[in-house]
Amino acid sequence: MHGKLLAVDLLKVVLFGLLMLLFGTGWIPADRAFAADKYRVLINCDLHQGDCQQTLGGHKVILMVTPRPVTAMTDLTFRVTFEGAPAMDKPPYIDLGMPGMNMGKNQVQLKSIGNGVYQGRGVIVRCKSGRRTWRASVTCPGIGTTDFIFDVVY
Amino acid sequence: MSSTSGLLIAYLSTGFAIGFGHCIGMCGPLVVSLTLSLNGRPLLVPQLLYHGGRTLTYMVLGGLMAATGSFTMVAAHITVLQKGALFLTGGMIVCMGLAMTGWVPLGKIFGLNYSPGGLIAKKIAHLSQSATTAAYFPIGLLLGLLPCGPVYTALLGAARAGMEAPHIGAGIVAGMALMAAFGLGTIPALFLVAKLVDLGWLKARAKIYQLGALVMIGVGIYFIVAAWRY
Repeated sequence: MHGKLLAVDLLKVVLFGLLMLLFGTGWIPADRAFAADKYRVLINCDLHQGDCQQTLGGHKVILMVTPRPVTAMTDLTFRVTFEGAPAMDKPPYIDLGMPGMNMGKNQVQLKSIGNGVYQGRGVIVRCKSGRRTWRASVTCPGIGTTDFIFDVVY
Repeated sequence: MSSTSGLLIAYLSTGFAIGFGHCIGMCGPLVVSLTLSLNGRPLLVPQLLYHGGRTLTYMVLGGLMAATGSFTMVAAHITVLQKGALFLTGGMIVCMGLAMTGWVPLGKIFGLNYSPGGLIAKKIAHLSQSATTAAYFPIGLLLGLLPCGPVYTALLGAARAGMEAPHIGAGIVAGMALMAAFGLGTIPALFLVAKLVDLGWLKARAKIYQLGALVMIGVGIYFIVAAWRY
């Protein structure tokens, strides 16, 4: 008798869970989580299409990330070109993070490949929240930092 | 100070900062659920077991990353496990919440609110309660697998430590040590959340406690939905 009651109760729980799952997935479709990302308005570059440019200390800074589209949890190559910038004593670097969310220190060290071009490898990690707006802060020691804010594919 | 101990301190402090800056928001509801499910029982041991399990999983992942020297390769292989962990966690929290509401007699399964008569039955119930406390360790092991951005970032460092180590053994030790430091660093913030939920004034109010059960069910559903979408 007790066992039968417990089985009925467990069945209720399973049905409740299935119903919640059904409604839950309907309530929050994947693209709505992205649409709700208030930091999307900060996006100033589309790295999926090609290079992005910013100005730093009167010099043009160009960021290119490959392979495209820029996808989280994959090995990426970051290439930064400084047009007209003087030779740097220390190499530049990129801090990867999310606007409004502390994701820990994720730094890409860049090495010179000549003619003001620097390159390094890194990974953009995935956030469980579903938010896909990321920031690459390019720092040029002695000159300053400029931000590239872009969308990432999960 | 050697570079290794410097790195360990850096990871410990990163974990501490991430705990307050990220984990409270992302994993706070989970810790609230686990604390509420204790139903007034002492908090310290279950919480230590939970955090111990979670940190041990981080260490194993750190060792794996360091051994292979590749974050993306290991991450790609554990995605299915992470999805499963999200589903299981969600289901578990929903069941815990339902047990707390009293709508279904799940308390007997989870060892909650169960007051049997008779000496032997009481002893069995006591053992059941101990087993329930011990269950927080495997829960921690499982929850350490949950997808989490800052954990991934820390694991990137563990993989790098593996690449830079003189041999694979040293790399594994370094990767595990870094992740242990990171995991330990995140504990104070989450423990503070658990302690706040465990305040006597909250427990004394049955209606708020019932509301907590509903919150748990909501959190559980959120995890299941997150698993669906991950």
